[in-house]
Amino acid sequence: MVPAVLKSGSNFERVLRDGHFAVTVEIGPPMDCNEEVVLEKARLLRGLADAFNITDNQTGVVRLSSIASAVLIMREGLEAVMQMTCRDRNRLAIQADILGAAALGIKNCLCIAGDHQSFGAAGRLKGHPGAKNVYDIDSIQLVAALKGMRDDGVQQGGDPLEKRPQIFIGAAWTPLGDPIEIRPLRLKKKVEAGVDFIQTQGVFDIERFRDQMKVVIDMGLHERTAILAGIIVPKNLGMLKYMNSSVAGVSVPDSLMKRMEQARSAAGDDKKQARENQAEEGIKITVELIEQVREISGIRGVHIQAIEWEHRVPEILQRAGLVPRPVLSKGGAKDAGKSQNNGRRG
Amino acid sequence: MEKPSEASESYAPCIVACPVHTDTRQLAEYITEGKYEQALDLLLDTNPFSSVCGRICHHPCEQSCRRAKVDAPVGLMKLKRFVIETTQDYRITRREKLQPKEKRNEKIAVVGSGPSGLTAAYDLVKMGFQVTVFERAQTPGGLLGHAIPRYRLPYSVVEEDIEDILAAGVKLVTGKEIGQDHSIDDLFEQGFRSILLATGLSESRTLNIPGIDSRGILLALPFLKSVLSPKPPSMSGRVVVIGGGNVAIDVARSTRRLGAGKVTMLCLESHDEMPAWEWEIEEAREEGITLMNSWGPKSVFSEDSTVKGLELKRCVSVFDADGSFNPQFDDADTATVPADTAIIAIGQYGDLTCVKGSSLEVKAGERLTSDPETLSTSREGVFVCGELLTGPTSSVEAVRDGHRAAKSIAHYLDHGVLLTQPYLELPSLDDLPDETAEKIKKQAPVTVEMLLPQERLKEFTEIEGGFTEKEALAEARRCLACTTGALADEEKCAACLTCVRICPFGVATVEKTAIMPEEKCQACGLCAAACPAAAIALKRFGTNKMKEQLQDLVTGLKGTSQLPEPLIISYCCLFEVTSRGFVHEKAVEYGKSGIYSIMVPCVARLSVPDILSPFELGADGLTIISCSEGSCLYPTAEERLLGRIRQAKSVLDEIGVGGERIDYWKTQGSAEVSWTSFWEISRRKVHQIEKGSKGHDYSGEKTSQ
Amino acid sequence: MIIAERKPLNEIKSFIENYRKILIVGCGTCATVCLAGGEAEVKVVASGLRIGFLREDMEVEILEDCVTRQCEPEFVQPLVERVENDGVEAVLSLGCGVGVNFLADRLESVPVFPGVNTEFFGAAVEPGVWVEMCAGCGNCILHLTGGICPIARCSKSILNGPCGGSQDGKCEISPDVDCGWNLIVERMKKIGTLHRLEELIPPRDWSTSRHGGPRRVVHEELAPVPQGDEGPAS
Repeated sequence: MVPAVLKSGSNFERVLRDGHFAVTVEIGPPMDCNEEVVLEKARLLRGLADAFNITDNQTGVVRLSSIASAVLIMREGLEAVMQMTCRDRNRLAIQADILGAAALGIKNCLCIAGDHQSFGAAGRLKGHPGAKNVYDIDSIQLVAALKGMRDDGVQQGGDPLEKRPQIFIGAAWTPLGDPIEIRPLRLKKKVEAGVDFIQTQGVFDIERFRDQMKVVIDMGLHERTAILAGIIVPKNLGMLKYMNSSVAGVSVPDSLMKRMEQARSAAGDDKKQARENQAEEGIKITVELIEQVREISGIRGVHIQAIEWEHRVPEILQRAGLVPRPVLSKGGAKDAGKSQNNGRRG
Repeated sequence: MEKPSEASESYAPCIVACPVHTDTRQLAEYITEGKYEQALDLLLDTNPFSSVCGRICHHPCEQSCRRAKVDAPVGLMKLKRFVIETTQDYRITRREKLQPKEKRNEKIAVVGSGPSGLTAAYDLVKMGFQVTVFERAQTPGGLLGHAIPRYRLPYSVVEEDIEDILAAGVKLVTGKEIGQDHSIDDLFEQGFRSILLATGLSESRTLNIPGIDSRGILLALPFLKSVLSPKPPSMSGRVVVIGGGNVAIDVARSTRRLGAGKVTMLCLESHDEMPAWEWEIEEAREEGITLMNSWGPKSVFSEDSTVKGLELKRCVSVFDADGSFNPQFDDADTATVPADTAIIAIGQYGDLTCVKGSSLEVKAGERLTSDPETLSTSREGVFVCGELLTGPTSSVEAVRDGHRAAKSIAHYLDHGVLLTQPYLELPSLDDLPDETAEKIKKQAPVTVEMLLPQERLKEFTEIEGGFTEKEALAEARRCLACTTGALADEEKCAACLTCVRICPFGVATVEKTAIMPEEKCQACGLCAAACPAAAIALKRFGTNKMKEQLQDLVTGLKGTSQLPEPLIISYCCLFEVTSRGFVHEKAVEYGKSGIYSIMVPCVARLSVPDILSPFELGADGLTIISCSEGSCLYPTAEERLLGRIRQAKSVLDEIGVGGERIDYWKTQGSAEVSWTSFWEISRRKVHQIEKGSKGHDYSGEKTSQ
Repeated sequence: MIIAERKPLNEIKSFIENYRKILIVGCGTCATVCLAGGEAEVKVVASGLRIGFLREDMEVEILEDCVTRQCEPEFVQPLVERVENDGVEAVLSLGCGVGVNFLADRLESVPVFPGVNTEFFGAAVEPGVWVEMCAGCGNCILHLTGGICPIARCSKSILNGPCGGSQDGKCEISPDVDCGWNLIVERMKKIGTLHRLEELIPPRDWSTSRHGGPRRVVHEELAPVPQGDEGPAS
């Protein structure tokens, strides 16, 4: 269960290998080139997670690129998980960017299809709905390609690589998406393709999630890849409702809706109080969710998404008992260096 | 006889059933269009005795009408009568057209002025021949005028038909009997090149039973003639009429009107076997006549040589195994019936006086040697037609025979040889399938009230009137327009299946290309309007005709100095009109103020180009008026039309002209009641639009832009 | 069937406004079936344009025609002749893009304008509703996906779908768009081959599609045989 040789030597990989309950946190880059925004978030979150995901033109909105943002946060000492969507780049650009990322020291990559460019942040922004999308290869093919580059030393097209990118390969999973019976199968496909870690879509319905995990455990997939449960931090009732109705694969049980509703109405007409109540309830719910998923076997960690609410993350992790994070010995870093220098396996 | 519609190999069954193949389908169509004069031309071109047949024909057309499966046959005979009654002035003026262009030298003599002889004479005179008709009575018409009771056929009606014939140039000589006053040989010597014997069956048969010579025993034809004389006989007491055919019924009903108390008809036949028409039997019953079926007269018993009653024997069968008349009796089963008068109406035979003194061959049993296919006799140049040739028939069949005779004689005179005319069976459209009949909207037939039986007996007036215009229009619209349905042009059809999906009657199918089986198609036109390849046309509704009408209209307007503004075209559902007078007068009146209405048989047939073409021609607005709520004959038609109107409106919007120029209304009440309001509202609206878009002032002149 | 939709009339009018004699040509195959450019539509467009020009007091002669297909030389030749004989200044084609291209090739110096927007290959799923079903990728993989094309019917053309955006059978981009992969899953369940979806479909060779450049198909058996041949040499 514990791999002898590290694939990437990343901190994230080590944490998992050493059996800790992992924590990753998402950072959203700005829509302009203001590096300070990224750096500030990095400073705020330093030390609170084992690795930090930087989104890649999420919801079809142009933002400071994931790779560049990853380098920025690495300057502040954070470990980055870069995200690579299939929507914007063909297989050449993807591979070139992977090689570049590896050369810049990025060690984790999350491979995802990417929201359709017509999204434009669910209509709130203009975005670029008329852009030609690429989808040259899909997320699973991307995982396989990356694995080929890392483990077999070949580009997707067949040409050899001398120095291989040592990347910890991740993918997303929507456990409760439609059609539900296909979801475990698709996870299996990703595992077969070589995925090292999985970050799921936000989970609120613990019951159903647990049921899906049972299927996954029966298939033995939890041993072949590290599954982190996605946790989205709800700010208010409106957000819960929106996610439940409009975000595919996210379902919010009525009990949570009720709690948020009660929190809101307890404030009466006082809007400020209502906001505070809901925020507090949201954090409470988040902490509970973290505790609940921790108990589900097969779950190796959590992936926290606090969209534009990063400043509450410290508090959440505190209350969930997830901080401080394990600080791995320098030896670990050496290991990473070693495995990087090895062209082949022994 | 008109060819069938171009699309079709078969004819509507009403046309096939008519012995002279009157195009009854076209007749119904003309009536719906208000083209009563054209309808009259259609009738008279085929049947010069249209007035007569419009009263007394046995209407085989109605009996084969395909609409019967839906609710009831179309009342074609009444429609015919309506046309005749409505176009009396035109009937006179059209006579000018009847004069033949070229006159010929040959003289032809016709003996007898019944329907067959006069029809032949009429045809021949129109071909240019010089025709003289010899009639032994003082007035023409044969049995039509001299036997059929006036409650069935007023003499004025007979005169109407005969006057046309005479006006065409037929010379009528009355009071002269051929075979008596002149012989056939005389006629040839006088220069006649051909002679047509059309004397009919003018003699009544009698019975050879004991007591037949008693007083009070009458023969049918002489009796009927006496009824028509200036001093008709009076009747009382009990009358027995022997016979089961229409003549017997005429006799029986006449006696009732003359005062007879109890009238009984004795026939050999069972009720179903009786040769009389069903409706005649029914009317006779209503008038209190009793039927005694399956009885034959055995003898007459009398007192003081005056009839007192009849002894009857049971008739057990009338017809042979092969259908020949061969009554069989059971002498043991007898009955008696009392009678003060007995009238024998068992059949007629021909009077062969006309051949006296000629060499024409007469066979045993007083039968003239003749050939039904060439209409010739044993003597060259002498022809025979009508009942004298064929045996007892109806009036319309007699007319047919007259046509055949004219053809035979003309051929003989042109070529010197006889023309063989076998009877041709026209191919008839198949029956209406049950599943199609179920989908057709039911429309109760228009009925005309008949005089109550007790009223009828008072005198010899007609028991039933004809249709009013409103009634005729309503009844004519029930015609299914057989054989005029949709036809897809194979070359253009893309097999796109639109017609299959649109057809509300489930008619259209696609094999290689679209097919609309004739026996199912209801000619609604929805497929034609929707076809994206413009491959489907309906024979009945010629869009081209409508376009031409539009074009003529606009060209005509452009020629005048004042183009009305705004110019509005109105497509109006023809089926809502209850009098063509409204269309002609009101519509003309509105036309002067810029609203031109075009009657369309069901506006649901209008395609998008149809809706746009008025604008192409310069109209400022279009008002479409459909039938009233619930009236439309075709399911889904209104929705489809509204869809097409929407399309046309968006075309006008896209081109910057404005879709609001098209208005759609549903008739309320009737055309007469609601259309003028719709026109006014639409006109005002278009006026506003025009003012807004072009800055017109009220004088209609364009201001500068 | 190639599915197209007629361009708005004002747009069409802007193409041809400066010409005085225009020929509108319909197509009797796909354009007819999808109600975009058959003979009936030719009549409607001609009528609309005439009405527009009439309102502006412009004298424009609009001729109408329709051929079985605008993508065959034999069917197009009579049009070429007509254009020449009738002195047509501009042609408006209501055929699909292929027809416009083909006509333009043959007319050379007379401009050909498109009257419809050609959209996709599709079929009628119900009367009046056509849905895209084929992307013309040049290497059909429908045997792998139960007959439902992931390239045409998945908004992201994912070959190993569905993605996480599938919700209630609909695609994340719109509730009007079916999730192609949902359809595939349902179909393969019915056929009994759902397990095949475990196999990874590898990255595709797109060179057979339009991404590889404009394509060409040749059937040599139809190449014209020169006249006067004695036959194959023995």
